[in-house]
Amino acid sequence: MVLGVENKIKLDVNDTALSLPRIRLVSAPLLRGRMDYSRFLSTNAKTRKPSWITQLRSYLANPSSDILWLAGGHPDASLFPFKETTITLKNGQEIHLNQDLMATSLQYGPIEGHTPLLKYLADLTQKLHSPPRWSETRQLVTVGGQDGMAKAFVMLTDPGDYVVVPEPCYAGIFSELTSLNPHYLPVEEDEEGMRSDLLRSALARWKSEIGETHSEKRLKFMYTNPSGSNPSGTNMSEKRRREIYALACEYDFLILEDDAYYFLQFQDDFPPSFLSLDTEGRVLRFDSFSKTVSAGLRVGYVTGPEFLVEKISQHIMATVMGGSSLSQVLVTELFHMWGLEGFLRHVKEVRDMYRRRRDAALSAAEKHLTGLCEWRKPGGGMFLWLKVPKVKDTQAMLLERGTKKSILLVPGNGFTTRPELPCQYMRASYSTVLPEEMDKAFQILAEVIRDEIQLNNEVK
Amino acid sequence: MSQTKYCRYMNEVARRREPSLLRELFSMQVEAPDDAVFLMAGMPSPDTFPLVEGSLTLRDGRTLTLSPKKMVDCLQYGPTPGYPPLLKQLKDLTKRLHGPPTWQDSEVVVTTGSQSGLLMAMEMMMSPNDYVIIEEPCYTGAISILAPYSPRYLPVKTDSEGMIPGSLEAALSRWRPQDAEDAHSDIPKFIYTIPTACNPTGAVTSEKRRREIYKIACEYNLLILEDDPYYFLQFMDEENFPPSYLKLDTEGRVLRFDSFSKIIAAGLRVGWVTGPQPLIRKISLHKGASVISSASMSQVVVSELLEMWGDEGLKNHVREVRLFYRSQRDAMLLAAERHLSGLCEWSAPAGGMFLWIKAGCISDTWSMVLERAMKKKVMVVPGHGFLTDSAKACQYLRLSFSANTPLNMEKGLCSLAQLIREEIELQNTHQLLQKKG
Repeated sequence: MVLGVENKIKLDVNDTALSLPRIRLVSAPLLRGRMDYSRFLSTNAKTRKPSWITQLRSYLANPSSDILWLAGGHPDASLFPFKETTITLKNGQEIHLNQDLMATSLQYGPIEGHTPLLKYLADLTQKLHSPPRWSETRQLVTVGGQDGMAKAFVMLTDPGDYVVVPEPCYAGIFSELTSLNPHYLPVEEDEEGMRSDLLRSALARWKSEIGETHSEKRLKFMYTNPSGSNPSGTNMSEKRRREIYALACEYDFLILEDDAYYFLQFQDDFPPSFLSLDTEGRVLRFDSFSKTVSAGLRVGYVTGPEFLVEKISQHIMATVMGGSSLSQVLVTELFHMWGLEGFLRHVKEVRDMYRRRRDAALSAAEKHLTGLCEWRKPGGGMFLWLKVPKVKDTQAMLLERGTKKSILLVPGNGFTTRPELPCQYMRASYSTVLPEEMDKAFQILAEVIRDEIQLNNEVK
Repeated sequence: MSQTKYCRYMNEVARRREPSLLRELFSMQVEAPDDAVFLMAGMPSPDTFPLVEGSLTLRDGRTLTLSPKKMVDCLQYGPTPGYPPLLKQLKDLTKRLHGPPTWQDSEVVVTTGSQSGLLMAMEMMMSPNDYVIIEEPCYTGAISILAPYSPRYLPVKTDSEGMIPGSLEAALSRWRPQDAEDAHSDIPKFIYTIPTACNPTGAVTSEKRRREIYKIACEYNLLILEDDPYYFLQFMDEENFPPSYLKLDTEGRVLRFDSFSKIIAAGLRVGWVTGPQPLIRKISLHKGASVISSASMSQVVVSELLEMWGDEGLKNHVREVRLFYRSQRDAMLLAAERHLSGLCEWSAPAGGMFLWIKAGCISDTWSMVLERAMKKKVMVVPGHGFLTDSAKACQYLRLSFSANTPLNMEKGLCSLAQLIREEIELQNTHQLLQKKG
């Protein structure tokens, strides 16, 4: 029996009550047998094998320390120029990397990631998500969350395969996925997130028009960014998550849960992640420290079924080979210093800061953009997704005329599966902008929009 | 070569890669005037980053400081091509060391270790079942990259002077040079080589050979993937280094992969790729879609170090590294002479970290290593993984002289000699039994 706790957990840390997300009770009978994942693999992934060196290592597990090791490929660390490092934190505390830690930071590390870091990630994941199939679950450190996703796309997507994406969708996904030439099934959202009714009808239509063959799996996965989504800032409700998970089971596809903004949800009571609902082992979850600790250290991680995560690790072995050791050691040291509770305290502060910035952005929008734009209040994340009903296409307005007034938002077309079509949306980021700057920016933006409407009228 | 001619080398996936507006806008923001109010970059706020400043102590006693401003650089997303000061330093270094003939048409991109650059280059070009020209024995990491494409290998023989041009010509003999113009031809797209201290052989390809090989590449319109992580670990004096393929590259057909892993730090994951603009652009797009940027802190640290050292300091450091590995090699050769003479054959490696030995009396080293070596308390690498067909019998072993004292090498080779002698015994007994049976 996999246990969770039904009620909200309140963690009293000093005077701060910290709520952890509700964790659902999941009973064993709901857990089906292990899936056959090989059906989901692309040709590339099917042909990929573990590297020869990895295979060799598995034969040579647990060598005793008196073995004379002439088998290494590691450079000699005595020549690396750095000895020790000290880093000061905001609160004045220090992280000190002594010679041993420094040596670890400067040398090749295990492909799956720095071992002490993986232990913290396992603890954190179990605490927050209590994945129903934890014993069959594996984790890997990745060079930012995005690299994990890029590798998952290559692992799963053959040309012509079908993938479900939200509309609008994080543009960074298209950079990798589109070059693999899938067919997109875009599904729109409302204030609760992706519309499960629209997803159902899209899947039903796909099934009747195309469907699966006996030999080839065609509908592979759904990409989702369910918390504080980029670009619309929507938090998918629990109800929708459950409905969508049920559809994933019914239509037999995987769920790629990109949760980079997980900690940036502005509500106190988080809905369960797809990972925490994953009774069938369909979820690959991508976490990131980019929004909470550091983007530049490039540390993220993937959690999912052993078989699939192993495939990703084989690809990683052939490329970045475990990412920066120094970055991973630093994140680990932060965990040592903070503990999980301290980390959760930190992310709460981060969330509060982004919430204040969101509020400032909304104030400025109300003040300057009322009547010109429409928007929904972001439930999380860093972005405000604005619609300009009186403008047909925001691209030229922003890239040509907005830049002349020193203002630039991201035109919305890049967040759709059909970027060549005109788009009335644009994305504003409030992450690094101070309230007074926000006010000024939206004032200028209002001018730009009015000018554009004027321009369109003149053309008519 | 004209820009359009580079299309020949790109597979379907690479052709479909397009610039991402998000990454383009990011670069615009970096170059913008200070009063521009940009609302577009999805950059997290540095106010949330918990690390504020730092310092690194160097082995020579000096301190490298990371000021609060530098720390923000360390902790924030950086531009995809690389941390700008580092990118400039790498361009200057590459220009200084190699003086590439087509420098004005070249580009450089920082990668998360040179291996990731190599992967992006190969994945830009490979289609399933492509023919691949690769020296043999070769680096297993390259085989890992290529394996998912089920390539048809055309291995090229090598000796102590590196890749043998005659063998390269033979490998290409089923095509005519003009086949490269034919879009439907299955003529290979590139030659992959580690010309300096090849892993595992330690051979340095001579200048004469390099010029011949470059000529063949021009004739058949092939790219050369010059994987050079041991460039600074050549045991001869710098003035005698043979020119790199990049240096010989009058036609813009070389993609060169450099790395700091062997000389500064492997764990920082900092390497770089130099080559023709159209190819580097495609590689950058792949990078932008995957890691987005390499670890900023790693890049800042390397950049600050190079700044502190200056050209002289870098030169002195690599000299120190070179002398170290050379003395390690000498110790290994001494031990080999003492213990393996008569049992094995080898050539002195001209660079790198490895000794490649042939146990001529043994038909296949695999089970000797995997089943019996541990008992003799010595571990080496059987040569199979360095062949394009690792299932074939192999008589070779790779020994590392990195990270081992001369004393340990002595002990290790003594044990290895025993292991080999016992293996020969075992082999003889086995053969006798077979004859009788």
